Amino acid sequence: MHDSQITRRRFVLTAVAASTVAVAPASWLPENIARADGTDDAALTRLARLLFPHAGLADTVYADVMEILFTTFESDPAKAQLLDTAASALDAQVNGNWFDADEDSQISAIRNIEGEVFFAAILAGVRGIFYYHPGVWAHIDYPGSSKEHGGYKHRGFNDIGWLPEGE
Amino acid sequence: MAKQYALDDASVVVVIGSGAGGGTVANELAQKGIDVVCLEAGSRLTLADVENNPPAMDAKMGWYDKRIGAFLWVCKTVGGTTMRWSGISPRLQEHEFRVLTSYGQIDAGTSLIDWPVTLEELAPYYDRAESKMGVSGTHGIPPSEESNNYKVFKAGALRAGYKQVTSERLAINPVARDGRPGCQQISFCHSGCAIGAKWSTLYTEIPKAERTGHFELRANSMAVRIEHDKTGKVTGVIYRDQGGELHEQKARAVCIAGNVVETARILLNSESALFPQGLANSSGQVGRNYMRHTFGSAIAVMPKPVNLHRGARQTGVLFDEQHHDPSRGFAGGYQLQAIGLNPHSISNSIGDWGTGHTEFMQNYTKLAALFITGEDPPEADNRISLHPTEKDANDLPVPVIEYRNHANTDAMRDHAIAASRRIYESLGATHFWGGDAPVGCHNMGVARMSADPKDGVTNRWGQAHDVPNVFVSDGSVFSSSGAGNPTLTIVALAIRQADHIAERMKRKML
Repeated sequence: MHDSQITRRRFVLTAVAASTVAVAPASWLPENIARADGTDDAALTRLARLLFPHAGLADTVYADVMEILFTTFESDPAKAQLLDTAASALDAQVNGNWFDADEDSQISAIRNIEGEVFFAAILAGVRGIFYYHPGVWAHIDYPGSSKEHGGYKHRGFNDIGWLPEGE
Repeated sequence: MAKQYALDDASVVVVIGSGAGGGTVANELAQKGIDVVCLEAGSRLTLADVENNPPAMDAKMGWYDKRIGAFLWVCKTVGGTTMRWSGISPRLQEHEFRVLTSYGQIDAGTSLIDWPVTLEELAPYYDRAESKMGVSGTHGIPPSEESNNYKVFKAGALRAGYKQVTSERLAINPVARDGRPGCQQISFCHSGCAIGAKWSTLYTEIPKAERTGHFELRANSMAVRIEHDKTGKVTGVIYRDQGGELHEQKARAVCIAGNVVETARILLNSESALFPQGLANSSGQVGRNYMRHTFGSAIAVMPKPVNLHRGARQTGVLFDEQHHDPSRGFAGGYQLQAIGLNPHSISNSIGDWGTGHTEFMQNYTKLAALFITGEDPPEADNRISLHPTEKDANDLPVPVIEYRNHANTDAMRDHAIAASRRIYESLGATHFWGGDAPVGCHNMGVARMSADPKDGVTNRWGQAHDVPNVFVSDGSVFSSSGAGNPTLTIVALAIRQADHIAERMKRKML
């Protein structure tokens, strides 16, 4: 039996306000992410994969998710600085360039900042885009909208066959 | 067909809100020939507007006006939160009407009172509510069909020694009834039922009321303040229309059903020289004793595929743990309910990231899941108040929502999670997660009914202790939370309240 090491989330009693503290640009967050040309960014893709590491899921999906996130944040003044803030915080955790660190160090660095308000906003943003992404749905066999197919009334809503019978 | 009333027509009952409470009380009054104007802050969707797309539907129907504090997952749309609800419709149990007598006062922070209504008194109204809503397993309606996720839940529960597991008590038509079709197992109940198989006031109570010729719905009309005369009797409701213009609809009586935040806000915002603490608030209890439920989720990876996304969202209830048994280490009880969640909801429930979290997501087709809902004791300090200076886009004071789980709630959730683990492990689950689910979809208690006017805001009819022509018609009147989903009880109380209002009018007392 495996238990995930997840702490129970508690109610947040105060409004979540985005951190607006100015930070120096992180060493690995390249200028080119700001280009609306679909350029992949290896570090952001890496971050997304460490957050939701689905074996066999293509990097292009992670890159697409982060590009959507970046574009979304860019258009919201309250969120425009969040990725910079996170990148700098991750660099500070490894005393250098987070992207160049080994995987264990990269994960530890994320764990160490996961309680920060800016990171919670990024995680919620990535989660929202990632688990509504058609590439992710295809990977985990989630088909999405069903009303145009008449729901599951005649498409297996009760087709389970492996449960114990007559106990 | 739908009627139009003049703003200065003081013979109408104004109902604020068109959800489970407001939509029901409005239709029940209109059916008796009483003229009603219903003010709804949201817009009126049709079934054609319903998409199987949760973010899009949240944008169309969610209530996202500025609020500070704990989040509530409620709707601003015609039909209110009946558009989003899961349809589970259990009755409160006998001990849940007498919580102070049954449990005692839990500690110095709790404020338990008994209901000024008994189960016996409410039973005939529960009957009428179940018939109105088409609750499965009642009134000759068959049980709901058993989905894969429910079958796993039931088989595990039976193996774990539980007995009271049922696919009844769902206000989703198993078969066509009352002009609405049977469930097609579409699975997006929380985004609005695309075919109208699930009971929602949008396409039941509201059009039925319109057909009486005694009802006008004003959508996109945000009630902001209730006016009164010098004797303290309420005379009208000021509301803001879609263009931002203010109007006053005169009224003979007012029924407030805006869900807890808006119900508390309009009472508090209607303060005056005569009512300096807000309307109907001489007790100081408006906004206090805000209850949700003990909420939680359990998610398990089963040995073989379940496909929990197929079928109605919530399809069954376990009642074995709803009784009061202090030997479990907490007061009151809880229910477990099979729930099928989409990938984002599963991920968001688990809340974490990394390999542990993603193991569940990678096995999405093998997941089984359930929802925990249990009794939440009232506390005066769990409350909704108005921000002293900050205003929202409607120029209304921003509501501040303070809510903390009580230790009783945490102990209950731990017990429920352990029970859930036994259920899924009995069938060979390989991974299990259980935790809090701070969803804020069941909201109760901020204008509670009390026998003693000092303890609450409304009497046994949901009528304000201080102001006889003001009624509260939503979950705000609950004296305690009980364990189960509140909508059926809201509807039963609204039917009963409409009978009471009609009877008072006949006797010229309103």
